[in-house]
Amino acid sequence: MKQPILQVRDLKQHFPVTSGMILQRQVGSIRAVDGISFDVYEGETLGIVGESGCGKSTAVRSISQLYKPTGGSVIFNGIELTTADPRTMLAARRDIQMIFQDPYASLNPRMTVRSIIAEPLVIYNRRNLLDPPLSKLEIEHRVEELMERVGLSKVFKNRYPHEFSGGQRQRIGIARALALNPKIILADEPVSALDVSIQSQILNLLSDLQKEFNLTYIFIAHDLAVIQHISTRVAVMYLGKIVEISEAVNLYDNPLHPYTTALLSAAPIPDPVVERNRQRIILTGDVPSPDKERFGCYFYDRCPKRMPWCSNHIPPMFKRGKNHEVACWLYDETRDYHDVSMEEAKADAAKASK
Amino acid sequence: MKNVVATNEFNQVVEGNSLGKDAWRRLRKNKMAVIGMIVVIIYSILAATAPLLPIYPYDQIILDHQHLRPSLTRTSGEIMMENRLKDLYFKAWRSGELVVTEAESAQIRKWIAANDTNKVWNFVFKEGEAQREAGIFTFNAADQRVITRLQDKIDTEFLIDVTQITFSEEKGDKRQDLSKMSYEQISRIYADLSNTDIEAVKAQTLTEVSSQLMNTLKSATPGLTAEEYAVNLELELQTIGESGVAKLGKTNLLGKISTTITRQADRDLKQEIREGLAVFPVERIIDVNDQLQAKVTATKKHERMYYLGTDYSGRDMLSRIIYGSQVSIAIGLVGTLTSVLIGIVLGAIAGYVGGKVDYILMRIVDIMYGLPYMLLVIIFMAIFGRNILNLFGALALVSWLTIARMVRGQVMSLKNSEYVEAARSMGGSTARIILKHMIPNSLSVIIVYSTLRVPAFIMQESFLSFLGLGVQAPFASWGSLVGDAVDGMTLYPWRLIFPAIAMTLFLFAMNFFGDGLRDAFDPQSKNEL
Ligand SMILES: Nc1ncnc2c1ncn2[C@@H]1O[C@H](COP(=O)(O)OP(=O)(O)OP(=O)(O)O)[C@@H](O)[C@H]1O
Ligand SMILES: [Mg+2]
Repeated sequence: MKQPILQVRDLKQHFPVTSGMILQRQVGSIRAVDGISFDVYEGETLGIVGESGCGKSTAVRSISQLYKPTGGSVIFNGIELTTADPRTMLAARRDIQMIFQDPYASLNPRMTVRSIIAEPLVIYNRRNLLDPPLSKLEIEHRVEELMERVGLSKVFKNRYPHEFSGGQRQRIGIARALALNPKIILADEPVSALDVSIQSQILNLLSDLQKEFNLTYIFIAHDLAVIQHISTRVAVMYLGKIVEISEAVNLYDNPLHPYTTALLSAAPIPDPVVERNRQRIILTGDVPSPDKERFGCYFYDRCPKRMPWCSNHIPPMFKRGKNHEVACWLYDETRDYHDVSMEEAKADAAKASK
Repeated sequence: MKNVVATNEFNQVVEGNSLGKDAWRRLRKNKMAVIGMIVVIIYSILAATAPLLPIYPYDQIILDHQHLRPSLTRTSGEIMMENRLKDLYFKAWRSGELVVTEAESAQIRKWIAANDTNKVWNFVFKEGEAQREAGIFTFNAADQRVITRLQDKIDTEFLIDVTQITFSEEKGDKRQDLSKMSYEQISRIYADLSNTDIEAVKAQTLTEVSSQLMNTLKSATPGLTAEEYAVNLELELQTIGESGVAKLGKTNLLGKISTTITRQADRDLKQEIREGLAVFPVERIIDVNDQLQAKVTATKKHERMYYLGTDYSGRDMLSRIIYGSQVSIAIGLVGTLTSVLIGIVLGAIAGYVGGKVDYILMRIVDIMYGLPYMLLVIIFMAIFGRNILNLFGALALVSWLTIARMVRGQVMSLKNSEYVEAARSMGGSTARIILKHMIPNSLSVIIVYSTLRVPAFIMQESFLSFLGLGVQAPFASWGSLVGDAVDGMTLYPWRLIFPAIAMTLFLFAMNFFGDGLRDAFDPQSKNEL
């Protein structure tokens, strides 16, 4: 089997909540990402979906080491990024680039398009991490080449970001991400701020680039249709956890986790007949706040199929067929938990914790 | 490698540009800003080249020329005469010799009651001149004498300036500039000139230097006993050493020699005037004795023109304003620059590092905010002494607070912006992120604040000068000029108006320039290209 290019193991990102003025005591933590594991293979696109606030952005930021992860490991091309020294990490991170959600906020308004796209080149050049080093003119040509590649005329080189449309700006962001010839690109909702017609242009551009440069993507989106369009595999996140991960086709045809089922049933279908007759699963309540430690299934509060057992046992990932994993006790083939009473479950949990 | 250049689709060469270049292009489009910039530049050039300009010395006191009003066409002598005549006409009116109508007399009395002295003088002068013209009025003998004497004085008095003294051992030898010779040589020359021996000259000079030093000591640290002063003086003499004494002594001796020459030239010129031979302005080389020669210029004292009038010591306002702008602009710019630099550095550190560092820095700022600002400056000046450098220091020390807070706020909000995150994800160093991303994006705030700071500094300096803690006479600054002019404001309005205009114009220009700069550094500004 193929070797994964990126391995994420039990990655945790907790943000401390402090109080007090001088002596800042930690009074708790926001568990934005609470132990996620997955592999990413070369050339594929891993989509991550989930409700707002479930920790998708935080996950990619921890992977790219923008935040120092609280725990777990991120192994890229055999290099452990969480413990690597700065220079090794910089060298490795050259191959990991990001595309940001907001094409307005992610470009410095005081820099011309040229300097924005050239920035990674200039930084790596200055740190002697480019082989061979580039001259000023070479950088200039590389910038032009990138602009043409993402569909911007090089005539616009001297313009400022505010003189472009949202789609054009996102192209600038993409060109910047491509500048160092990365292997993997982490795209945090790259199309959600754009108009639908432009979304598809950008998505097509991204898939063209993927074929051309053999890129790997981790692609975050709210929109299930977008994810389906672009992903090879999809991970579904809920409250800092991955609840289901599977081949894209598989997930849409055969969602297993109750949360995934609910999520898919909420997505509109562009066919009036189907749309009118379909069954929607309405989840009750909001996403709970990620600020306390949980001992049961993270989805317990809102799950339409919950069992007493789920309230105090965290489900592991159960394998269901090739490349399909789900974190739900319903899919434990060794035991059926439907008839376990609350008392028995509590007793079992207490025994396990001893 | 072949020489390729970047071209656009129309095959035109695309020039690289940067924020700086673009800013300059945008600035040039903004007329008001350009005018402001030009005014600021003109001021700066005038201030910087003041010693080269053809203006009278800013510290030359001519008591006869006290409070002369500004005039573009009339010489100081004519204005002096006019002033005297006004005075005499007024006296004549008082004593009843100058007859005016009853209504006019009542009006004059009303003016006097309202302290409108200028109106009174102008009126009696006009009236008196008219009556004298018409032959109705003549001065009495005493007044006539006063007038003649003044006219005589105006016609004959002159100012002598010794510009260069040269020396040669024998006639025909190469002449040496006296100011470039050694203390030893100058002592001998002075001994020859004044017919004493060299030892006496040296002893005399040493005493003078000592007493000079003693005076400085006494003014610097007042309130010591005589013994303590003696000890201090001894120390002072040791620190400056032989060469120090020689340097001071040389200055003294040169002064004395030049006084001697001035006196001699004065005598000669007076003689010539009596004989009716002198033609002013005089510029000549005179032989003092066999060895000394001096280049002397003499101008008629009362033919000077004061375009902006004179102050209470008869000093030229024009040149005082120009020299004053030196001090004021320097304080405005240097003070702003240092305070903005301190503020940016500390604010950026506090905002970027955050946590405890931020907490401590901001508490220091809070505490300093709480202290009365001017009091700090005054205490600082009192401890470290009153000179211009300390003034810079004191003002800069307490004025970085606001800018530090502003920069901190900016940096904190920019720290979490996506483009800074993007730069960090590309491995941009902290320095690069601060310099390339945070500072350019905080620049508009910083620039606006700085341009507001410049006037504030000029004002503060004025305030301190007004309190007597700023620049000390004979130096001037706009502030001290305005401060000095406040008394006698109605009598001599020009003393107030011209420095005030100079100052206002500069501050206006500075504001427009700053506004333009802000727009120029903001690519999104409405001031389109
Ligand atoms: N720097 C931070 N400090 C504290 N809490 C944070 C921080 N960043 C994110 N969080 C919290 O972590 C949780 C996950 O946030 P995250 O931005 O990863 O969500 P998301 O899945 O990307 O949501 P969206 O789809 O709206 O972008 C949220 O509850 C958020 O409040
Ligand atoms: Mg997000």
